[in-house]
Amino acid sequence: MISRRGWVIGSVGLVVLFVVLLSFTYMASYPEPGDSARYLAIPLEDSGAANRVAGIYLNTRLFDTLIEILVFSVAVLGVRYYLSHSPQVSLPSLSESAVVRTAAGILGPLALLLSAYFATFGHISPGGGFAAGVIAASAVLYVAIAQGMQATERRLPPQRVATAEKAVLLFLLAWVFLPLAFGRAPLSELLPRGTPGQLLSAGSILPYNILIAVKVFLGAWLVIAAFAQHRGEL
Amino acid sequence: MPIIVSFVLLGIGILALVLRRDLVIKLLALGLINGSSILFLVGIGNRPSARAPIHVPGEVATFVDPLPQALVLSAIVVNFAILALALVFVMILVERYHTTDAVRIEVETSRESEEEETPCL
Repeated sequence: MISRRGWVIGSVGLVVLFVVLLSFTYMASYPEPGDSARYLAIPLEDSGAANRVAGIYLNTRLFDTLIEILVFSVAVLGVRYYLSHSPQVSLPSLSESAVVRTAAGILGPLALLLSAYFATFGHISPGGGFAAGVIAASAVLYVAIAQGMQATERRLPPQRVATAEKAVLLFLLAWVFLPLAFGRAPLSELLPRGTPGQLLSAGSILPYNILIAVKVFLGAWLVIAAFAQHRGEL
Repeated sequence: MPIIVSFVLLGIGILALVLRRDLVIKLLALGLINGSSILFLVGIGNRPSARAPIHVPGEVATFVDPLPQALVLSAIVVNFAILALALVFVMILVERYHTTDAVRIEVETSRESEEEETPCL
């Protein structure tokens, strides 16, 4: 049995080890970050996205992003599966005060609008599908806190949302493998790249951003609804 | 500066993860470690007087490294997934043992397994 002192010494040693290792990494990339020039040297027309970050994770490293979306879906599935075994609590129909409800009525749609903007303009300005999805889920959570979980769940029933989430995932995968039908490799670009900086540019990055936003929104809402329904009691 | 802050956060995170006994605090510490690694990765991509890597037509500027920013996106999503799943497991443990104390849960589980091993006479 390790004593508490042993744990303290061990964890401090672990911290020191990590800090030394990371310091070496930092020194190696100082003052010029290692791969910066290489990724910025790729011509802008290659992905067509003015936002370089979107150009990397939805073009150069699209496969990585797809696996990440799969990880997210598996986590949502796991949360729903394991929580379905725990007892349901009856959701209180009580809602917040009139001030909170009115504020949520005004700010909720504004947050949803911001989410739509982030999803559609993610390839030419800061933003992107993941951020947009999280903003939309937060907006719905805000409205749910103000108007009561029951009312919000009636509008966005988790069963149907779960089906829609899987449908979006399948659509995303179908889109990725669609080039096979034209005799090209999967993940290759089908849409025209356009002029970088314009709304209709960057080929598939715009639809990917919108699909990812919808996917993340539905997934995050499912997790929130599952935690609200099965919050458990001590 | 972000590098030093990330080291401090990493230290707090690892110490809390190892030394605190509360499972929920352990999860929060895990989130803190994740945050510190994100800060570190974005921090090493930084350059003096560089801008966010978004091209504006007709403008020449120095950009920060876009690669770490694209990579930490995965880290953020995976961290969300791990935290949500781990919270569910903590909830299951709490429902069964009525505590979030890791040591007490360990004692209870070892006692349960001993009881199972003892043959009934």
